Amino acid sequence: MNETIIELKNINTIYEGEKIPVIKDISLSIKTGEFVSIIGPNGAGKTTLLETINGLLDYTGGKGYVYGKEIKKNKNHIRKNIGFLIQNFEIDPLAPFLCKDVVMMGRNGKTGLLRFHNKKDWDKVWYSMGLVGMIDFANRPIGKLSGGEFQKILMARVLTQQPNIFLLDEPLSNLDYSSRHQIETLLNRLHEKHNLTILMVSHDLSFIPDRCKRIIVLDKGKIVMDGAKKNIMESDEIKYIFNKKGVK
Amino acid sequence: MIELPLGLIITSVLGSILAGFTCSTMGTFVVRMNLSSIGYCMSHAAFAGAAFGLMISADPMIGALIFSFIAAFALGPIAEKAKLQSNIVIGFLFSLMIALAFIFLNYVPGQSANAKALRILWGSILSVGLNDVLLLGLLSFILIVFIVIFYKELASVMFNRKMAEASGINTKFFYFAVLFLTGIAVSLSLRIVGGLLVFALIINPTSTAYQFFFDFKKIIIVSPIIGVLSCLVGYYLSLLSDFPIGASIVIISALFFAISIVISPKRKKSKQC
Repeated sequence: MNETIIELKNINTIYEGEKIPVIKDISLSIKTGEFVSIIGPNGAGKTTLLETINGLLDYTGGKGYVYGKEIKKNKNHIRKNIGFLIQNFEIDPLAPFLCKDVVMMGRNGKTGLLRFHNKKDWDKVWYSMGLVGMIDFANRPIGKLSGGEFQKILMARVLTQQPNIFLLDEPLSNLDYSSRHQIETLLNRLHEKHNLTILMVSHDLSFIPDRCKRIIVLDKGKIVMDGAKKNIMESDEIKYIFNKKGVK
Repeated sequence: MIELPLGLIITSVLGSILAGFTCSTMGTFVVRMNLSSIGYCMSHAAFAGAAFGLMISADPMIGALIFSFIAAFALGPIAEKAKLQSNIVIGFLFSLMIALAFIFLNYVPGQSANAKALRILWGSILSVGLNDVLLLGLLSFILIVFIVIFYKELASVMFNRKMAEASGINTKFFYFAVLFLTGIAVSLSLRIVGGLLVFALIINPTSTAYQFFFDFKKIIIVSPIIGVLSCLVGYYLSLLSDFPIGASIVIISALFFAISIVISPKRKKSKQC
């Protein structure tokens, strides 16, 4: 039986200087190998939830555990073992970084201080770039890529980190249909092959990968639904939440 | 051509090389972080320090160093605490330092004192001493070691701070360290190129290197080379023409930048960089 890898108990997260929590009383449990989509309209608290799990934001109430360790007390350890794809990352077109170096940055936290990259690290870079079909782009400047190519490089960067948990914040946003399909296929393949735990945030109901079997619906900072994909997608409540916000 | 004693030539040439190296090395980070105004901030911190030194009848250079060290040390934490961009905090410190300088100068009797404090802003090759060279040499060594050992962390932070943090890098430490070391590089280079012109030595060589490469590693190697060359050629020009050393260095580095724009391979579509 799969173990619980992420556990949140009555979590509240408040941004500095604010009084109202962005996410309120969130309790959830994710098991190893689960592929979960977190959906909800804009401003529902989806990104805040991922950043709280990764320790980028401190929760102000409740307790959170990843790999059995309390998030607040083990931020660095947890971050090194979570691959986090941040949302709507815009790259400066003149950024002086090559694609292969950006992918290698995924190893940096895990490699640790006072250690240089070695052949094994580079092998992981080439492997990850191969998985996303971007080997030919290794020596291209990162700022010269299209949105889809760039997203694949960021995905390769996360893969190079070799985490057991993937937190993907809107990985399919700002992509054309073809690129979305490619990333979706890749996620399905990775999940099937490596038994990864994936939490994917999306505000688009039309792009939930096949391998995702569980959906958590957030609205106004609270979990309003949590269950099997089929049940959630067919429910009237989900249609109501999304329609009232005008989201597809 | 101006003739100088051999000892002074050696110390001033070494000082120029090291100032060019330290400023343009840190320039690589400053340009990437859009913090070009850090040069103004540090030079005016030095100006305020010099004025303070004169006010308490101490060496103005020591006052200048202490004030610019404090400004360099405070910059990162203030920006972090105030939740503002570093550039805004640089503006705040810049204006605060000018205000302090005027207050301190108000308590210093005689016009010559004002001139002494202002000398910090212009710099002079003749004021370079062995201690300056040794301090710049030590800083150059620290920079090389720091960059070689922590290159991968620095590159991650320079690419995107949030992503670096998300992958488990202590970004705050590296961000503060870059700001602090830049402040120190500026402070120690003041005597040679002057506080106002040190700004050009931070920006111009890196901007020149940017015209040729898309690879941060290459920029970080080439930028100090251009910085050192600018200083050496500028120094020679200063001796030939009796121009102030700072101004000569700036003219040469600006010339390098202008040439780089014209010949930059980034603008040639058929060639790879």
